[in-house]
Amino acid sequence: MRRRGPRALACFLRGLRLSLSKPYLAVALWLIQLLLSATLILPISNTLHALLDRSPAADKMVANPDYGWWETVRRVHPDLLGNFPEIATGLLSVEGIRWSELPGMRGVGATAFSLALLATVLHAFGLGGMLGVLREPSSSLVTFGREGMRRMPAFLLFTFAAFGAAFAAYQWIYVGSGEALATRVKELHTEQVALAVTGLRLLALALAFAAIKLLADAVRTVWVARPDLPPVSRIVFGVAGAIGRPLRLLGVLGLYSVVTAALYLLWLVLDPSAGGEARFALAPLILAQQVFVFVRLLIKVGYYAGISEALTRLPEPEYSYVAGDAATPRTPAGGAAGAGGSAPAADEVPLDGA
Amino acid sequence: MSSAKAGILAVALGAAATAAFAAVPFPPPPVASYQISCRLDPEKKTVEGTEVLTWKNTTSRPASTLRFHLYLNAFRNSLSTFYREARGESRDGKLPTHSWGSIEILRMTGSDGEDLLASLKYIAPDDGNANDRTVAEVIPGRPIAPGETISIAMDFVSRLPRVAVRTGYKGDFFFVVQWFPKIGVLQEKGWNCHQFHASSEFFSDFGNYDVSIDVPSRFRGRVGATGRRVEERETSGGRILYRFQQAGVHDFAWTADPAYLVLEDAYREAGLGDVRLLLFLQPEHAAQADRHFRAAKAALSGYGRVLGEYPYATLTIVDPPWGARGAGGMEYPTLITAGTSWSAPKSVHRPEGVTVHETGHQFFYGLLASNEFEEAWLDEGFNTYMTDRVMKSVFGPNHVELNVFGLHFPLGIEIHYPLDVNRRYFEVADWDVLASESWKFRERKSYGAHVYSKTALTMATLERLLGTPAMDRALRLYADRERFLHPTTRDFIAAVNDSTGQNWSWFFDRTFFSSGIVDYAVADAESVPARPPRGLFEKDGRLTEGPPPPLAKVKGWDSRVTVVRAGDVAMPVEILLRFEGGRQYHAHWDGEARWKRFRVQSGPRLLEAVVDPEEKILLDVDRTNNGRRTQDDPRAATRWTVRAVFWVQNMIDFMTVVW
Repeated sequence: MRRRGPRALACFLRGLRLSLSKPYLAVALWLIQLLLSATLILPISNTLHALLDRSPAADKMVANPDYGWWETVRRVHPDLLGNFPEIATGLLSVEGIRWSELPGMRGVGATAFSLALLATVLHAFGLGGMLGVLREPSSSLVTFGREGMRRMPAFLLFTFAAFGAAFAAYQWIYVGSGEALATRVKELHTEQVALAVTGLRLLALALAFAAIKLLADAVRTVWVARPDLPPVSRIVFGVAGAIGRPLRLLGVLGLYSVVTAALYLLWLVLDPSAGGEARFALAPLILAQQVFVFVRLLIKVGYYAGISEALTRLPEPEYSYVAGDAATPRTPAGGAAGAGGSAPAADEVPLDGA
Repeated sequence: MSSAKAGILAVALGAAATAAFAAVPFPPPPVASYQISCRLDPEKKTVEGTEVLTWKNTTSRPASTLRFHLYLNAFRNSLSTFYREARGESRDGKLPTHSWGSIEILRMTGSDGEDLLASLKYIAPDDGNANDRTVAEVIPGRPIAPGETISIAMDFVSRLPRVAVRTGYKGDFFFVVQWFPKIGVLQEKGWNCHQFHASSEFFSDFGNYDVSIDVPSRFRGRVGATGRRVEERETSGGRILYRFQQAGVHDFAWTADPAYLVLEDAYREAGLGDVRLLLFLQPEHAAQADRHFRAAKAALSGYGRVLGEYPYATLTIVDPPWGARGAGGMEYPTLITAGTSWSAPKSVHRPEGVTVHETGHQFFYGLLASNEFEEAWLDEGFNTYMTDRVMKSVFGPNHVELNVFGLHFPLGIEIHYPLDVNRRYFEVADWDVLASESWKFRERKSYGAHVYSKTALTMATLERLLGTPAMDRALRLYADRERFLHPTTRDFIAAVNDSTGQNWSWFFDRTFFSSGIVDYAVADAESVPARPPRGLFEKDGRLTEGPPPPLAKVKGWDSRVTVVRAGDVAMPVEILLRFEGGRQYHAHWDGEARWKRFRVQSGPRLLEAVVDPEEKILLDVDRTNNGRRTQDDPRAATRWTVRAVFWVQNMIDFMTVVW
């Protein structure tokens, strides 16, 4: 009889618990994102102060965006926002954006693109650190930095491979299907059917993105979990792990997406950014925003811990008799590989059937 | 002259001007009337027709030639002037390259039975394009004398293109416009018969239309057209014939689609007549029916109260289906097309805005039949101005719309009429002179920005300078004088001058006839504690250091404000200086010089200076520089910086979510 591993929900919940037990991981990611955002924010902030501090228009800008003011600033200072709004709306469009639009970027748009590359590098570092820490029973922020740097060359490779695959998927699946279907979609009887076609294109893209993400995450997880194997084997085991447990991994990813979406929905409903001074003064607003970011990052860390659980945790043995203590699962990270990359602990199996 | 006397004189001049013309009655004397019988072949996408044109030479000179619009030939091939100018773009995405349209005249005989077809030749009066076949010229057997009326009989076949620009088909949806041979407008200076351009609409004479449309019976009850339906009868071969009549119009459009949901409502308002409203709606937009009816009624009322009643008995609103939106947002006499989408949010007034605008064209275009080729602003621009007024008064502020993969969502950001909805003008403010022929704008976006938006902002600015009652009197005088005629810009300026008793030509010279931009700014505003003078002063006949006691006891603040004209067009502007303690100082500046300085000695502390505080000069391209405070208030910038940090943090996370 085939042994069943832990369910997706259990993996995700264990991951969240692990994330809460090591909050400094979310703190580290939060700091990275905050510092990255500072590179973009400083020029925007200085310009805003120069334009608004002595402007009578500032009064109505405190609480709510003034459409006219923003339109004028965008037009009069084209290098401030560049074509970032067009690219953002292009991303949400039925047609999508094309590579050819990227060279036209200026201002914040161009900086954001550079920032995305830098964020990708730091993302690789962060993932290495995070997955390394998750496998150590006693770890700290120092472990995070050390593990991050240690995994960085390999993780950069995986991250940029996934980055390239995601862009290729976007271009070939979403933009390509849009171009190929453009004429036929106009011939459809109703707009609702056309919207359904767009929905199918988005679903195909989402599935491709999910596959890319899960493959990349599985390879990274195994890379950290099985330092005893040669690199090629770790990649093969990682891919095999993703292919071998698609539903469990998709389940963890789905739960992560749903919880994150719910968090954003909550933010939109509460909408502390709107309403101005009457509802949220500056300090509570900053606090609310950063708590939101921190919670979101806790969930993110929980997702990676959940994926690690789903791939490396020992399935509960199925006995034909009551096994007593033998069936009691141990703590997720208990007995995991040590800092030196020693052999996996007894409660880990690399992969089902691998 | 005192202002009171000037006012009396202005009213007297206005009254005299009003009395000096005789309004054209309804229906107006016909110049070009058409009796057409046509047959739709939905499979071949063709309309075969027989047409009898009755035309009168209303000029003082004999007509030795006749010119006809053959608009559908714009879609004949990619060498037409329309295709060349459109550069592959249509009103709804790319121009299709798999479906072409054309119109051919198969027979043409004159009043005396002479064959006119033999003399037919295609001409290109605008650009000399030998491949353009949208204007044809024939030579009658003899010149048509002034005042003479002739009849010309024609057989024609129109092949409809796939809908991309106003006309054509999509599946079983047919929107048949610019579909029959139509005579140009003969003026004293000759024929006014332009080619079909990418950025222009139409111009023709008033007349009476009697059109019979023969369609397969599956279109039963789903045929809408200009005018009133006077007959419905079965014909042979499982077909059905609809006959429509309308007097006093200058075009005829019709539509057929078995999918239409046909709804009816009525507009009634004392003094403005009763109008039967017919809505040919796509079933997937059924929930939006009331939005169209409400908008049409708001327009008939809002325009009617300013410009006089809508004289026709019907108004037909057509909702094109998905994939045929190139037919949407258009106007034809007593028939308009809507523009909406399945997910159109209620707080975003796009469906209402389109219906109000197109209904408004029944006045600016329908009744005031200006030349849309040569002076498009007279209909599109004036109409946009009136649309904004109606939308503002009836529907309130609009909202920014976010299109997410084809679904439309409202954002909580307000867009105000008329300034915010016409901001596209500012992007190309100095590209063109507004008063240009439609096909002579630098780019199509400049055409739209100037003809629609600059005109609307210019008119709204004029309203704010004149005052709304005076503006309404000017518009009413223009509308009364020019109803059922072909007014020009000069006629409108004359109406403004006559109704106000003042010469406003300077205003139009700087707006309609100029590409200059308006931009006023507060260059600096400062307020410092007043200080006693220093140096040597006479005291008891001797020079001593330090001011005498009266001068030494200086209180308050010394303030200085510099207002500059950064743009090249001058407009009269108001300047507001706001002081501590609630005191205000209002100044008027003719705006002619490059700058003007205001000083206040030993006064209350200046808080801020604002040029054009009431936002009268809506053509000002940059209002962010219109005011300046004397002290920093970092609240808004700080709050937006905090928001930006949050957004960027989230953006960074999204950037790496997949990989």
